[in-house]
Amino acid sequence: MYAEFDLETPERLEDALAVLANGDGAAVLPLAGGTNLVVDLRAGRIAPNRLVSLGRIDALRWIRRTDGRIALGGRTTISDLLRSAEIAQYAPALVDAARVFGGQMVRNAATVAGNIACGSPAADLVPPLLCLDADVVLTSAAGARTVPLAAYFTGYKTDLRRPDELISEISWPIPAAPSANQFYKLARRKGDAITVTGVAISISVTNGVCTTARIALGAVSPAAMRARGAEALLEGHALTPALIEEAGRRAAEECRPIDDIRASADYRRHTVHVLTRRLINEAWARLA
Amino acid sequence: MTAIAELPPAVPPAAPNVNWRQIGRPLERTDSMGKAVGATRYAGDYTMANMLHVKVLRSTMASATLRRLDASKARALPGVACVLTAAELPDRLAPTDIPGQTGQERQKTDQQILVRERVRYFGEPLALIAAETRDIAEQAMALIEVELAPLAGVYDPVEALKPGAPIVQGENNVVAAQKIRKGDVAKGFAEADLVVENTFRTQFIEHAFLEPEVGLAWVDENGVINIRVSTQVIEHFRYVADSLGVPHNRVRIIGAMVGGGFGGKEDVTVEIYLALLARATGRPVRLEYTREDSLVGHGKRHPFVMTYRTGVTKDGRITAIEAKFIADAGAYVFLSPYVLLYAAVAAPGPYRVDNLFVDGQAVATNNMYTSAFRGFGGAQACIAYEQQMDEVAKALGMDRLEFRRRNYLRTGDKISTDVPIRSAVWTDRCVEQAWAALGEPTKASDPVRIGRGIAAYQQSYGRITWLHDTSEGWVGVEVDGTVIVRSGVTDIGAGQTSALAQIVAEVLGVTLADVAVYNSDSAVTPLAGTTTATRALYMTGNAIKLAAEAVRGRLVERAARQFSVAPDQVDMAASRVFVADHPETAMTFADLVKLCAAEGIHRSELAMFRAPFTDRLDPETGLGQVHPDYVYGAHAIEVAVDTETGEITVLKSIGAHDVGQAINPAAVEGQIEGGAAQGQGYALSEEMIYHEGRLMTPSFSEYLIPTAMDMPPVRSIILESRSGLGPFGAKGIGEPALTPVAPAIANAVADAIGVRIADLPITPEKVVNALRQLASRPLLSAES
Amino acid sequence: MSREKTIVLEVNGRRHRAAFPPHRTLLEALRELGHVDVKCGCEKGDCGACAVLLDGEAVDSCLTLAWTAEGRAITTIAGLGGATSPHPLQEAFARLGAAQCGYCTPGLIIASESLLRKTNNPDDDAIRLALSGNLCRCTGYTKVFEAVREVARGRAVGGTQ
Repeated sequence: MYAEFDLETPERLEDALAVLANGDGAAVLPLAGGTNLVVDLRAGRIAPNRLVSLGRIDALRWIRRTDGRIALGGRTTISDLLRSAEIAQYAPALVDAARVFGGQMVRNAATVAGNIACGSPAADLVPPLLCLDADVVLTSAAGARTVPLAAYFTGYKTDLRRPDELISEISWPIPAAPSANQFYKLARRKGDAITVTGVAISISVTNGVCTTARIALGAVSPAAMRARGAEALLEGHALTPALIEEAGRRAAEECRPIDDIRASADYRRHTVHVLTRRLINEAWARLA
Repeated sequence: MTAIAELPPAVPPAAPNVNWRQIGRPLERTDSMGKAVGATRYAGDYTMANMLHVKVLRSTMASATLRRLDASKARALPGVACVLTAAELPDRLAPTDIPGQTGQERQKTDQQILVRERVRYFGEPLALIAAETRDIAEQAMALIEVELAPLAGVYDPVEALKPGAPIVQGENNVVAAQKIRKGDVAKGFAEADLVVENTFRTQFIEHAFLEPEVGLAWVDENGVINIRVSTQVIEHFRYVADSLGVPHNRVRIIGAMVGGGFGGKEDVTVEIYLALLARATGRPVRLEYTREDSLVGHGKRHPFVMTYRTGVTKDGRITAIEAKFIADAGAYVFLSPYVLLYAAVAAPGPYRVDNLFVDGQAVATNNMYTSAFRGFGGAQACIAYEQQMDEVAKALGMDRLEFRRRNYLRTGDKISTDVPIRSAVWTDRCVEQAWAALGEPTKASDPVRIGRGIAAYQQSYGRITWLHDTSEGWVGVEVDGTVIVRSGVTDIGAGQTSALAQIVAEVLGVTLADVAVYNSDSAVTPLAGTTTATRALYMTGNAIKLAAEAVRGRLVERAARQFSVAPDQVDMAASRVFVADHPETAMTFADLVKLCAAEGIHRSELAMFRAPFTDRLDPETGLGQVHPDYVYGAHAIEVAVDTETGEITVLKSIGAHDVGQAINPAAVEGQIEGGAAQGQGYALSEEMIYHEGRLMTPSFSEYLIPTAMDMPPVRSIILESRSGLGPFGAKGIGEPALTPVAPAIANAVADAIGVRIADLPITPEKVVNALRQLASRPLLSAES
Repeated sequence: MSREKTIVLEVNGRRHRAAFPPHRTLLEALRELGHVDVKCGCEKGDCGACAVLLDGEAVDSCLTLAWTAEGRAITTIAGLGGATSPHPLQEAFARLGAAQCGYCTPGLIIASESLLRKTNNPDDDAIRLALSGNLCRCTGYTKVFEAVREVARGRAVGGTQ
């Protein structure tokens, strides 16, 4: 509720980065949509000395297709994703996640960078982005570096982003056609709910063989993860129901869910199995 | 004038009446536009100069001794006006008994306003802080030093009954018991060809009204404590006065439009805190609960464990029912005895059961206390009896609707407590129509399975008859022909005040726009009683109708003299007064009123309506009249269940209810639709989870009520027997709209997956586990 | 508090000049400024009761820091219309009985208007999705949905007015 901090509202990216650079380590936080941060602030879970609002920095809010990649600025909102023809065409999994992301008001304010940076293992955009082999650009006053999203998370709510860095850009290669990607969010109600199990998949098929398989899981491990063992079962093979079933089972073994008020670890594992199998089956049927 | 309601003789279904002009039309409610444009003021929208802001400091343990509480640093913080603890209120208690009784003896359930020594539930208030701003009040809260020493607590009512269990308060943990002994169940079971036994469990439920508890209080120049508050009961001025030790006429409660109640604003919430601080500081004080305050801090719906044994003959006639209930009363008694009573009365459902044995207990635990919530025990009982009906039908190999048909109560039959129902009992029609409205089953393929369920119910309307319930209301006409209604009734969103305007418009032959309703001010509006127990239309509507008819009578009498006809030949409609057979012989309503005013004819009336007054039930048998009358109806559901993930989608939701007479059908539909949503949440997604008394779901992201994406369009079928005790033969719909929904969904899920999940809520995980268990049974017998 | 700053908030076309500390949410600021048509339901972004339009798009005002709303057009329910000249959504909600206790109504209408400004003739799924962040405990959403659908069809490009 009651919290004391300074609030900067710069209009230019350089000014925001300067504030972050001059901050006292973790005591300065960037503020995008605020849909997580303001809640944490008022609950006393975080106590920054300073917040830097990115709300005026339009330079961070864009979606483009260039050079065989789709790229978007960190401040792109969830609603921006839903309005984008490029996202609809090349990243249906991201659309699946964006559609059921919070409620309308949250979608209008929340940002892609914010969802990645909030560090929640249940952040719904992360599994689809992992399946798309996304990279993130971390920008600071000192420069920029590109990091694969798959390497970004290092543990529960820990990641590679330095306190003086912003996630300025997210991009991924346009999947080699023919391919399909999809995300399913399982939760305790259909609207605006914290994910119990999130499964994203992406497969590319050439000449009846699955050339690329990506399976990413949310809310079932300390950080969103790729089920690489399950992926390895599929890549390079013609997919059969038995193989897909095996991959589903393997993905369930790879995840590390917990018991909480929403569901047990056992149920989460079961649904990882079921949903992985279902989504891969559906994608395969579409592409075959 | 007063009128005492007597039970009417048994009535046949009434023919539709085509003569009403306002009643029965889905008029735009008087409160709708104000709400739609954001102009309506709720209790939290008022501020006053010099106002202080209040916060409540709560216990962080469920069962503890308060060793030390030091507010000195908080008091010293600049901007803090007052901190109150139990030390400042040494001899004061808060009444928690059923509200609004007149002259009735209260149960000895008064409890501490702020914790003195003993904490009995997580969140129990320790201190009140009043400060210049909310920020300062929050800072002050953090400066209060509290030392709590944990005490062994008990968190399960079944455990709390065992010898050696920690005692929450008093001598033992049984805070209420209720029996019904009717007929001879031993004989009934002996006659049965089959006896089926099942246990059903329900969970803690939260009201989740969108407007949190809020109020503003000030002491006026006459020393009267004024409290503007979001409440279902303005009569709580009595409890506030008793808590403060002041006369009843020194406390005034002014209600506002209430942003949802459902029973959660039936008990005192913030009133006493506000009164104490207004008096202590001499300044206006405002308290608004945060959502967390609300979720932690007000009484919940009683969880029930209900074990039913039903004896039936092989042709489907129920010969005996034995029902045992254990309700979790939580840390304090509040309305537990009455919730238990309602559950007992409802126990057999809308069925003829001559041999009935009910044993119910409300048991104290260190969970949050439980109290009133839409349905009030009748909803919990329905969750048991309607699931049991399906299970018995299944055991008999009989169609679920046919089994019910063979057992329905009919008009004139006696209910559980051996009292005949005089009004129409249209359960069969409601069930048939709701079921038929499901139409063709939705097609689905594996792994999705479709299931259908029905639930019928009996739900009381009007309060317990030995409370001697009354309602007063005033109607008057202004010299320009406009009309004023004054009623203490609180409007909690179901159109309580608009219904009064519609009734008066009917009686006086004017339009809704001609009627202004002033309500819910204990100083100036006649006391109408609580907006609870599905009583507002019945009691308040009748009182206002009586008042309007008295005024009409006098006006008509004067007009009859004017027209030289007998009074029964005068009619009033469209703001005109005319001879029914010669409508050209007429005058305007306004002109008639002016005439009456000039002659000193009394053009207003204060009326009282009385419900039937009875004595208390026989405590040994539980037999006797409990309620004025009952509503009957049904809800039908179709679900799709994904048998791999366990996810449940409600595809069709249809409520069919005999409401007696719909005053405003759109308002009735609104209640059915809203009840369908609450019932769906009850069945599938809502659960207040307490671990060792601590609330684990203290926000709306953890306590999940249905959203627009979860709800199908709800269909309402309104039946009108015109046999009710309310105005124009109305019964009620507030609680009935909810009662059958959760069991109908439970029945639909069981139909879909072939196995019953008897503990609510039915979560996807429970579905998956039940199916796994079913699959692993060595022998798949006929019952599955 | 020394951290307070005077900002200008433009609400329903009217400019307010007032001082707020950084932690003041837009919800708190609006209500302090007298815009009590903006309702407080949870202050956590879970219920949508506090929704306002910011440059025409619905956001939860409880999750918006007041300073960040400076320079943007804020519209509350009262800014869409009033009783004598109601906005079509307000008129439809009132006529169809889509408001019962009415507490969630301002947020629902704001969210509905935000949808209709962005999407021409949204289908039933799109309407449900757009309203899923607004909790209502009274209505079950049935009449809310009917009201929004009626206005959406009427407003549809090529539809009947």
